[in-house]
Amino acid sequence: MKHFRTIFLKEFTDTIRDRRTLFVMIIFPLLLVPLMLIVVTKLQTSSIKKAEEKIIRVGMVTHGNALVLADMLMQRKGLRVIEGIPADSAEAFIQRDSLDAVIIVAQDFDAQVAQLHAGKVKLFYKSSEDYDMVKRRLTSVLDGYEKTLTAARFKKLNLDESIVNAVQLEEHDVASVKERLGKAVGGMVPYIFVIFCFMGSMYPAIDLAAGEKERGTMETLLTAPVSRFEILLGKFAVVVLTGILSAGVSILGIFVVVRQIEEIPPELMQAIMSILDVKTILLVFSLLLPLTIFFAAFLLSLSLFAKSYKEAQSLISPLTILVILPVLVGVMPGIELSTVTAMIPVLNVSLATKDIIAGTIKPMLLAEVYLTLITLGALSLWGCTKWFEREETIFRGV
Amino acid sequence: MITVEHLTKTFKISRQQRREMGPGFSGSTIDAVYDVTFVCKPGRVFTLLGPNGAGKTTALRLIATMLKPSGGSITVAGFDVAKAPVEARKRMGFLTGSTGLYDRLTPDEMVRYYAELHDMDAQTYKRRREELFTLLGIHDFAGRRIGKLSSGMKQKVSIARTIIHNPDVVVFDEPTAALDVVTSRSIIELIKSCREQNKTIIFSTHRMGEVSLLSDDLAIIHKGRLIFNGSYKDFQSQMQTASVEDEFVRLVEAA
Repeated sequence: MKHFRTIFLKEFTDTIRDRRTLFVMIIFPLLLVPLMLIVVTKLQTSSIKKAEEKIIRVGMVTHGNALVLADMLMQRKGLRVIEGIPADSAEAFIQRDSLDAVIIVAQDFDAQVAQLHAGKVKLFYKSSEDYDMVKRRLTSVLDGYEKTLTAARFKKLNLDESIVNAVQLEEHDVASVKERLGKAVGGMVPYIFVIFCFMGSMYPAIDLAAGEKERGTMETLLTAPVSRFEILLGKFAVVVLTGILSAGVSILGIFVVVRQIEEIPPELMQAIMSILDVKTILLVFSLLLPLTIFFAAFLLSLSLFAKSYKEAQSLISPLTILVILPVLVGVMPGIELSTVTAMIPVLNVSLATKDIIAGTIKPMLLAEVYLTLITLGALSLWGCTKWFEREETIFRGV
Repeated sequence: MITVEHLTKTFKISRQQRREMGPGFSGSTIDAVYDVTFVCKPGRVFTLLGPNGAGKTTALRLIATMLKPSGGSITVAGFDVAKAPVEARKRMGFLTGSTGLYDRLTPDEMVRYYAELHDMDAQTYKRRREELFTLLGIHDFAGRRIGKLSSGMKQKVSIARTIIHNPDVVVFDEPTAALDVVTSRSIIELIKSCREQNKTIIFSTHRMGEVSLLSDDLAIIHKGRLIFNGSYKDFQSQMQTASVEDEFVRLVEAA
């Protein structure tokens, strides 16, 4: 094993000098995800603000009823009430964007209300626009109006308003902010980790095996007085390291950027920072390491089989979907870490990470995940070693 | 010294390869090298001559321990390549027509890498590096990335990489196949210099000019079998045609 260090250092130097690898391993995870986070957050915040401040054009057909409601709407800031539109054209006005909403008060509204019945009010709007803000802003006025009418009724009937509450519900959510956040967005963390880990391993694996075969350097390397196992181990260690580095860099990027987003409430920021603490990150990386070993062995095996860099790319690129799929399943609600899911590679890392972040991980299940990943990593490394020793693999088409 | 005795290498062939070979071929294996015997002596250049696909590269890969023989034996510098491949490799340098260099390393890093793989101590490496870099004129570009060097410069680095550990045996697999005339000359000079240093040299080629220029001993391989094995002088004396090229074609067609 005395040559392992020499091979590892050479392969690592060679790898970090490759611009393509460097881009996928460092630049892409460091800048892309944080940049996306910033852009999406800023865009969303600004468009919600815009929708909240937008002047809503409301068509009003009252048939001489609900004058208080008309008054409330007219006095509400940000609403422009337009009266006198034909009731049967409400939909058409909204469809052609002449109005944002139309409120039609039934002809017998006042009479119904006077008899203590429900008066009918129709609200026309388009839910597909502006985060449904039109409906939200108008229903808040309508709710206020209803409360006024209800209060008047209680007063008229000389009743206490609390008699309608047969059950008084008091909610106590014992989940901490960290726990809620872990369950809600904890799935996104492994999504970023695992994808970047795979992508970070991908190009070095292609370059150090198929690329080396194509350039003819593999042939000369095999004539050096070094065992094939040492050669493979040197390459393998570099592929694992680049995968881990890539995942680490992506987390570093998120860590830096999250602190720059002013819109995050302090309580939430505190919870995010507790997720990104050293202990949690180390625990998650301890899961990622055996998974990366599996990725590296698998990717190197495919790359060794390929005759050229291009063939290796064609073989490996579609696999990204195979990696994304279980991670996506892990994000879905209702899918939890169990004795069965703990044995499914990638998905187990995704689910365990979610639980680690939420602080609800069960030690036995975590042990099962480790056992599965270590077994898989060891088996795939063993398989890759055997594969590298086969003449048919190394000299396929050479 | 290299001793090759009854060497055979059989490859399994895929369905696609079988299809490519045409309807006349029905087997599932092919003998790339079959019952080949020869000896390469120190201080002499042994030329392995043959048309494309004759089995030259396979034979040299077997000698260089990249492939394992299906039958027969090979001894390199006294070591059986099947039993002690690492010992054999320690005493061997291997050079092909493709330079086999890493574009993102510098010549200095490239040569040092191979020196380290050959367990050279720092003192010996320093002395040998100085000797070779001066001889080949590498000093001027020793710190530049190999990818940015001309093909001539690359070939010089490749030579330094091959002989940095001062091997007893040097294997050249069609070393000039993809090179221009000027760069090819540096390889020819290297082979001559290795001969002067009493090294054992085996080189494969299909260029007749190189055969007459360098060969002390000659083996002609065709379809994996030797159809001539002897000294170059013997070959010349037995020639039934006017030129080496014509004689080579005659022997191949007769086989």
